[in-house]
Order: sequence, then C-alpha cells, then structure tokens
Amino acid sequence: MKPKYKQVKRMTTFMRINHWVVAICMVAAVITGLYIGHPYYQTYIADPAVDKYVMAWNRWIHFMVAIIFDVSSIVIAYLYFFSRFEKPYKKLIPTPANIKEFFEVLLNLVTLNRRKKFDSTHSDSFNTVFFLVFHLMLVWMLLTGLQLYVHGLASGLSSIGNWWPWMLHLVTDWTVPVSGWLIGTAAPTASIMDVRISHHLTMWLIITWVLFHVYYQVWRTVFWEEGDISIVVGGSKFVKEDQA
Amino acid sequence: MADRIEGVKKLFTSKSARIDTNRGDAHYETLFQACHARIEELKTQTPREDRLKIDDLLEDQGVSRRDFMKWASAVTGMLMLPSSFTPLVADAALLMNRAPVIWIELSDCAGNTEAILRSDGPKIDEILLDIISLEFNETIMSASGHQAEKQLEDAMHTFKDKYLLFVEGAIPMGIDGNYGTIGAHAETFYDHLMRISKHAAAVVAVGSCATFGGVPAAAPNPTQAVGVMDILKGKPLINIPACPANPANMVGVIIHYILTGQIPELDSLLRPKFAFGYRIHDNCERRAHFDAGEFVEEWGDEGAKNNFCLYKVGCKGPMTFNNCSIVRYNEGVNWPIGVGRGCIGCSEPDFWDKYAYERPMADANIKAPTGGVEKTVDEFGLGLLTAAGIGIGIHAAASLAAGKKEESGES
Ligand code: SF4
Ligand code: SF4
Repeated sequence: MKPKYKQVKRMTTFMRINHWVVAICMVAAVITGLYIGHPYYQTYIADPAVDKYVMAWNRWIHFMVAIIFDVSSIVIAYLYFFSRFEKPYKKLIPTPANIKEFFEVLLNLVTLNRRKKFDSTHSDSFNTVFFLVFHLMLVWMLLTGLQLYVHGLASGLSSIGNWWPWMLHLVTDWTVPVSGWLIGTAAPTASIMDVRISHHLTMWLIITWVLFHVYYQVWRTVFWEEGDISIVVGGSKFVKEDQA
Repeated sequence: MADRIEGVKKLFTSKSARIDTNRGDAHYETLFQACHARIEELKTQTPREDRLKIDDLLEDQGVSRRDFMKWASAVTGMLMLPSSFTPLVADAALLMNRAPVIWIELSDCAGNTEAILRSDGPKIDEILLDIISLEFNETIMSASGHQAEKQLEDAMHTFKDKYLLFVEGAIPMGIDGNYGTIGAHAETFYDHLMRISKHAAAVVAVGSCATFGGVPAAAPNPTQAVGVMDILKGKPLINIPACPANPANMVGVIIHYILTGQIPELDSLLRPKFAFGYRIHDNCERRAHFDAGEFVEEWGDEGAKNNFCLYKVGCKGPMTFNNCSIVRYNEGVNWPIGVGRGCIGCSEPDFWDKYAYERPMADANIKAPTGGVEKTVDEFGLGLLTAAGIGIGIHAAASLAAGKKEESGES
C-alpha cells in the first residue's frame, strides 16, 4: 500500500524571504570580501581619466549587504524567542528529550538513514543547533566587521552623528581581545589584525557550513522522501500519515 | 596629588581607540589655568645644572624664534589642544630640562637612540631631546663600567619618584632572564628594569621591542622576549611603539607631562591617542588609488611609477595606528609609504609576524592552532572546504550505495 502523505507547514513567508535575501547577500559578501582581502582583478592601469572606483564599490556593496545581514540577524534573534510560528529556543534547551532527539538525528545521518527514530514533522533539535552555529558565526562576522569598519570613522566622527562610532566602539571593542585569544595572541597585545584574520577565517567556516547545509537538505529530500527541499520555496513539506 | 593619581587612573581605564578632539570651551579653560599654574611653578625651580641654555642652543643650530613658534603651534595641534595653548607649549618646551630622564637599553638595536642622534641635521624635536635632563643613557654617556653604575645610582637617588624612565628594548625571559645581562654583576635585564622602574614617576617604553616585544619576540622567540607592558604592573606606563619611535612623539609625551603633570590619554595598548589614534590608511596620500582599485602589482611596475596604492604588495596601513602619515619622519621630510614601500605595521603588536610581509593580509601566514605548520588564511580555508567536500562526497556515495542495497533487499 502506498503511504498517505500529509502537508505540514515549516517556514513562514517571511522566513523564506529572509532565507533567500541572506543567501544572496552572502554570495555578494563573499565575492566583495575576497576582493577587499586581496584585490584579485586589476583595474586598467593605462586609463587615468576613467571613472574608476573599483575598491570603493566593492566596499560599498560589502557594507550594504552587511547592513541587510545585520538587520536580518536582529529579526532572527528576536524570532528565536518570540516567533509566533515556532520558537527555536525551545529546541535548544538541553532537556533529555532534546538531547535524545539531537543524537537520534545525528545517528540517522551517520547510519545513512538506516535508523530513523524521531519525528521529522517539525524542525528537530539537531537542525536547530546546526542553525544556531550558523547564526553565532554570523553575529561574530557582524561584530568583527563593524570593529574593522569603525576605525575608518576617524576621530569618532561620522555623517550620521557621533553616537554611531561611539556605539560601535562600545559594542565591538571586546572582539579585539577575543579574536586575539582565538588566534592565539596573548591578551594584552591583541590587535586589530587578529580581528581581521578572525573575520576572514570565519568566512571560510561559513562557506563550509553552507556547503554542508545544501548537501544535507538535498540528502534529506532524497532519503527521507518527504520533500524537504521544497520547505524553502513553498514553505511546507510532506510527512507520511502514519508518522504524523 | 591624590586627584592626580585619580586622573591617571581614569585615563588608564579608558580602553577605547575613540578620540575626542573637541571637549568644549569649559574643559579647555580649566585645563589652561591648571597648565599655566604648573608652568609658572616649574619656572621658579632651577634646573639641576644649567649645562645648556636652550635659547642659545636653538640659535646655534640656526633655528629662529619664528621657526620655534611655528614648531610649537604644530605640537599644540598634535597634542589636540586649541591654538591658545601655543605659548604654554613653547614654555613647556623650554622647560624640558626640568624633567629628569633615565634611559635604559635592553634587548634592542639602539635604533631609537640612533633615530634621535642621526637625524640629518638636528631639528627642533631632536634638539629638545638633547637638552632633556638625560641623567643616564648607556649609549651616549662617556662614563662606563663601575663609573656608569654609580651615575645611575646617583640619578635614581637624587630624583627618586620624579624621574621618567625610558626603556628601549625587549626583556628576554628565557633561562631565568639570563639571555641578557648588564653590568659587572651580570644583573638580568628583568631585574635591571624592575629595580630602576621601582622609583620612576612613569615609565615610557619607546620602540616596538620595549612596547610589544618587537623583533626579539618574533616567532619562534627563542629568548622568550616580552615587552614592558607584559611584566611591569602598578606603574603608569606609556607605550610609544614604531620602529623607530618617532622623536616627535617622544617630545610630545614629555611636553604633555611637563605641561599637565599627567600622562596623555592612552588607548587599549597604552599608546598615547594623540599619536596613535589615527590609522595610516586614512591619512595616506595614496588613498585615492586604493579606492580606485589601482594597485602596484609588483615592485617597479607602471603602477609603482604612478604612485599607486601599495596594498597588494603588502601595505598594512589599513590595520596600523600611527601618525607617521601626518607628521612623517625627519621633520616631515618623508615617510615609508611616501618613498614607495608599504607600511609594515611597525607600531602594532607582533608586527614582525603579523604585519611585515609583502603580501596582502589574505595571503598572511598564520600559525595552526597546534603551532607547527604555517599556512595562509586562504590555504587553510580552501583546505577546510576540500576536506568538507570529500567528507560530503563519501557520505553521499555511501548513502546511495546503502540505499540501493536496501531497495534490492526489499524486492
Ligand atoms: S598605500 Fe597603504 S595606507 Fe596608503 S592607501 Fe594604500 S593600503 Fe592604504
Ligand atoms: S608606515 Fe607603517 S611601518 Fe612605516 S613607520 Fe609608519 S607605521 Fe611604521
């Protein structure tokens, strides 16, 4: 007998829009960020009178997508606790049920879908922790990025008022010693270079994360046979009736 | 005295790179009164020995009063004070011989001393550093051996709790500090520093080695060298890094001390903000080429001839805080980026390992967390990505194989 399928909603319209905005921003941030770290194409040296603004445009795009990222991150952080749809923080509290679910999903992945003893209707603990890692990396990028940026606002002045650099210093100065600690510099002499190395390294970690994320979604779709990949497009997936 | 200590404490606890260039009229009015009173008080004191008359000295070197006042107004600007302070700064400069200074050398190349001595013809900064009441300096004093040690004892005794201690050079901590010893009793550099700093009013670390360990502390740091700030606790400490430290900044710190009796406002790395509150990159004459994406691709190419930005050949101006892009060296003659090579971040911690390479930062060698092999950030990242890709490939292949087996088992 063919199993009956039931449609379950997994992502709201807002969450889906956010997902694709973030995805596009990330591609843009990586392309421009790599240029800022090491300008990998040349501007025409022979044309002195041409309107060249290559690095500045790259930086402009980088900052713009960063701002979009920042706003999205704030909203996502809010949704962790106050979403009316699913409150992700509930899956992050290490209760016995959550811990069990986390390892069941992990086992499902490493046993190549031989063992599937959890409810795949809703977002599971493993998934939520996996995304939490991503969000933490994004927050780190945001703070280190702003720390690198604020030093360009020389003498604590900016076009939108002095509160802006003041606030950025207040909120991000601590990333200097923490980056130093991550890179392995003794605390008192950590410098902005540690922040920069950390910012650059985290980019690679995020790209790796994305690689695994895409793979895992496809893998789930293929092996769970519940249409997981369509969550991010139509907002829902299908679950076998007897399971749901 | 108590409020002065409070003031010093407050300055020390402000741990931000943010600089405030305008604090309002009221603030400067009170500051002016305080500085004025202090200068008048200092004027009544006679210097210990009036070896050199400063006015005469300046005249001998062909510096006119007008040049001197021009210099004074530039220093006033550098110290971020309103122009009304110019006469006070000029007075403070003439009172430089009231500040007793003891200068010691540890693990270093004497480059900072050289920077003062070997300038192309002494300019006002260097002349003033000549006439500070330099009570002890191994490199340029004529006494040696026991005689020199006695002189040091004398100076420390006479100016107890009043002298400024200038330290040049890192402190080797390996084999109980025995990598570097000084004097007839083979006192280690560490003991030497601790003994002399004990009764100093404030300690000034000059040059990258004394501040952050510099070249002696570069990987693999065989002598386990450290900077003064790593070992000296409970003393006002001012860091004037750079390789060599700019004489203008040394004079700035001393004048600030004479003028206010306090050490200048410091950033989180204990560097005076008036000198290290600026990024090289933001005051660089090649900045327009940076924004345009016009880079020197290799030494001597067409871009180099056109003074393009040096970012791709390793300029670390965007991560380096120093005022050499503004005050330059040798009385404003030129500075490293002006002569066509990138900034190597000499005023930043660990500059030899983290800044001084002729590649952009993305190609920097970083140490693996375990120590050991050096890889660039991008090599590391690509390696990570490859590993993840291989992992995913294996998992995918295994999943497919397992899936097939299951199906064939079912049928
Ligand atoms: S030469 Fe260095 S400091 Fe000057 S604009 Fe280029 S990167 Fe910045
Ligand atoms: S340009 Fe950079 S490396 Fe050169 S003296 Fe200035 S801070 Fe030091």
